[in-house]
Amino acid sequence: MSDPYQVLGVSRGATEEEIKKAYRALSRKYHPDANINNPNKAQAEEKFKEIQAAYQQVMKEKTGGYAGGAGSGQRQGGYDEQDPFGFGGFGFGPFGSFYGGSGQRRSTGYEDQPHLRAAGNYIRNGYYREARNTLDQMDSGERNARWYYYSAVAHSSLGNNVAALEHSRRAVALEPGNSDYRELQQTLENGGSWYRQRQAGYGYPTMGDGGMCMKLCVANMICNMCCCGRGFFCI
Amino acid sequence: MFGYIVVNQPELRIREWEMYHSYYCGLCRVLKEKYGRVGQATLSYDMTFLLLLLSGLYEPETVCGESRCLMHPGKKHTYRYNELTEYVADMNMLLTEYKCMDDWKDDRKRLRLLMARILGRRTGENRRKYSRKLEQITAAMEELSRAEEQGVMDLDKMAGCFGRVMAQVVAIRKDEWEESLQRFGFYLGKYIYLLDAYEDIEEDLKKGRYNPLRERYEDPDFERGCLDILTMMMSACCREFEQLPILDNVEILRNILYSGVWSRYQIVQSKRRNGEHYE
Repeated sequence: MSDPYQVLGVSRGATEEEIKKAYRALSRKYHPDANINNPNKAQAEEKFKEIQAAYQQVMKEKTGGYAGGAGSGQRQGGYDEQDPFGFGGFGFGPFGSFYGGSGQRRSTGYEDQPHLRAAGNYIRNGYYREARNTLDQMDSGERNARWYYYSAVAHSSLGNNVAALEHSRRAVALEPGNSDYRELQQTLENGGSWYRQRQAGYGYPTMGDGGMCMKLCVANMICNMCCCGRGFFCI
Repeated sequence: MFGYIVVNQPELRIREWEMYHSYYCGLCRVLKEKYGRVGQATLSYDMTFLLLLLSGLYEPETVCGESRCLMHPGKKHTYRYNELTEYVADMNMLLTEYKCMDDWKDDRKRLRLLMARILGRRTGENRRKYSRKLEQITAAMEELSRAEEQGVMDLDKMAGCFGRVMAQVVAIRKDEWEESLQRFGFYLGKYIYLLDAYEDIEEDLKKGRYNPLRERYEDPDFERGCLDILTMMMSACCREFEQLPILDNVEILRNILYSGVWSRYQIVQSKRRNGEHYE
């Protein structure tokens, strides 16, 4: 694919807002809905697809690869009954080390257990549901740090972020020296701090600051009442 | 299910509030036109959020006008509506119908059953129009209620069912944004479900009702754990949001997603701190 920044006509240093504006302008021009009567509509559609792909790639880079998910490129179009969302990767963790370069692959005997090895292979290929099934079939006695690590990745990719975080913590607790496990735990926990940073700009009072919260809430409640926000039936 | 996705009004600029309110009024008008007074009564801020979100993403042509209404007879209000308002009104009716049925099953509130029946009569056409969505929504709702009966405590499973409902509600059509909107709706739905459980935990325990947080409530770190989980849901939701090319009213949407969604949480917190009984 050609340089996505070039496709969108923005510099590499462009802000997220500039990228969105550029995308908007181009999409207005090339969107299939705007080209119904265009004799060259096939070309417009091609162009639109290119813009779409470029936008998604640039945004992914800009936002530190937090969206799109692990392995989302590996199993596309998986929209089926089994996976109703069809998200190859539901999660947002850039599990770089997991999919990463061959230099990071270790053979430390972690995967002597054939089920565990199978689960690892499923995950590497983006088959999270299959990985999940394989992991769940293993006895609790077989659940070592590696098991919790794989389990966390599979859970995260399937949208089970509560279990993902808990299992990544278990993996680290069982084997604190493993940097992959720590990295995964940090990635999953990072979501929270990223959000809290952004929150600061929107007047969210810090936790435990009772006075301010109360004022905001009371204001909100009054407003809800006078606007009949929740309907006659207080649904 | 309603009253969670609201603005933090004191932090909005006046013109932002007016803009937000004009979509709210527009939704109210469409609900009334299409579903009558009963429909109008289901109006909610949560669905106004959905309308603003979809309008920001798709930028449809929007009609703007001024009128008086029964709720505010003294003052003229600006209203805005577009092709997405009807979709949001339809979804609002469907969700309210589900909510009423749910209340009927839980608490045997007669009024809710009546309401559900009245709404059901008016939403008959929607069953055909949104058959695919409804199939998925119904399946997720049924799975949720079965799991509640079995007393399942797996938060991802429980909240995930409602997440799937919201994924269907938010992702309006099959297009280039479908997957992003589904993910966005999924995590927002998980947040709503868990916040609802968090709000009801004390009452549910007292009445011996199901609550997915029951086991965690024993944990001395219960409050911290809940906050972490809720934050994680909103974080995942907002990460999807920030990827969408939304420029119009983006600051209002961010006010809601980063601040307003915590209003209810804060109300629960302060009531608990003050030891009030929360009804």
